[in-house]
Amino acid sequence: MRRHSVTPRKGWQKSVERVGLTYHTLDDGTPYWDESAYWEFSSAEIDRLEAATAEIQRLALAAGDAILTRNWLGRMQIPENAWAAIRATWHSEPPALYGRLDLAYDGRQIKLLEYNADTPTGLVEAAVAQWYWLEELFPRADQFNSLHEKLVAKWKDLLPYVSQPVYFSHDGADEDAMTIAYLQDTAQQAGLKTEALGMRKIGWDSDTGQFVDLKGKAIETLFKLYPWEWLLKEAFGAHALKTMNAASQKPVAGKVQWIEPVWKMLWSNKALLAILWELNPDHELLLPAYLDGPAKMRNYVRKPLLGREGAGVSIFRNWAWAEGAPAPDPTAQPVSASGGFVYQALASMAQADGRTAVFGSWLVDGEPAGMGLRESEGMITTNTSRFVPHLFR
Amino acid sequence: MRKSREVPLTLLAAAAVASIGCHDQPRHCVDGQNRLQPDASCQLPAGGFHYVYGGSSGGHYGDAVVGASVSRGGFGGSGEAAGGEGGE
Repeated sequence: MRRHSVTPRKGWQKSVERVGLTYHTLDDGTPYWDESAYWEFSSAEIDRLEAATAEIQRLALAAGDAILTRNWLGRMQIPENAWAAIRATWHSEPPALYGRLDLAYDGRQIKLLEYNADTPTGLVEAAVAQWYWLEELFPRADQFNSLHEKLVAKWKDLLPYVSQPVYFSHDGADEDAMTIAYLQDTAQQAGLKTEALGMRKIGWDSDTGQFVDLKGKAIETLFKLYPWEWLLKEAFGAHALKTMNAASQKPVAGKVQWIEPVWKMLWSNKALLAILWELNPDHELLLPAYLDGPAKMRNYVRKPLLGREGAGVSIFRNWAWAEGAPAPDPTAQPVSASGGFVYQALASMAQADGRTAVFGSWLVDGEPAGMGLRESEGMITTNTSRFVPHLFR
Repeated sequence: MRKSREVPLTLLAAAAVASIGCHDQPRHCVDGQNRLQPDASCQLPAGGFHYVYGGSSGGHYGDAVVGASVSRGGFGGSGEAAGGEGGE
């Protein structure tokens, strides 16, 4: 693989805005969508990334079974009030759509960094903006990116299993708004009726005991770009559990299908990394990872179990803090927002031109579906890490 | 080919910024027992405060809000407290 430096398209901002990437520039004025470079891969390299993604998905499915069979939900610090719903939805397999594995790949080894299974973003960039970039600049080249087709196909598959309209909700700014608009677009292209409804606008009708839209119509299928760990702590969290359609794949009157389903809490929790390592020690696609400390690792990353966008992540080299969240007070017990951390070995990453790249490998319906690259000046991918397009020949 | 053959966009292209619906009924910040509370309470990320739309009360904090069976605002806001968006 190789990173090429190139001159961005004249008026690239307008080009990407036209296809939904309105958040192309960071607050400091530097580009978030960075087409001053692109990554080129061989077909064989893409084959390896695709196969690795499928294999990690297989491991994650087995890990989910093991977590529930061995009652490890407490180890993952998942709130006890959600356990029954997680078990029920894991077994009933209600509609689920997508996820993104973050991978380290240095040209030799591929390693799982984490699984963003509940609320992955970077989708408009990966599925849409880099596709249009490729069509305009390198129409003869290929790209690991069939996200759009696979999303539309998955929604078509879900037609008999959802209630219409399907509501699409978020509570964020531009990136979340455009991600949800894009997912709503793919559902509409599949023939589904859809409606947008902000998370704060979701109503609870105490007379009927149902969630309702702005017209008072009962909500039965809702796609949320909003983390389960937040949702369950909020005022309506208990209603969400009580009225969840947890036992059936198909709509049930008065109950709500949540997409992604609540069992995704098993995979979006970074304790999964330690459990995967425990179940598959020395697997070539996994990094050593532990829940109770760094064990014998000299160089490692400490991640909050429920951190997002690199928040709270610290890197330690030779056991000493090196980058990321502030150095901990050595006399105090570390505390994360979720109350726990996972300690994962430091991976060998792709580095070029002073940047470190993370490979976001997408899954739709559990199948590999495409890839997006984020570059950082340090080792930690944050919400300011730049998206750089790719192609392969 | 492993790229999509076409990526047609309808809704996304139109949604420069997605517009989420709103409504014009009066709203009241209430606690878990449907008693009127200061509006600021509903800006807190936790505590069981939420808005109800429609209905009426005596206008004093602690008064019951009646005639509004639909509450809203029971989801959302955790991102502000966590300093980020829900996506990752």
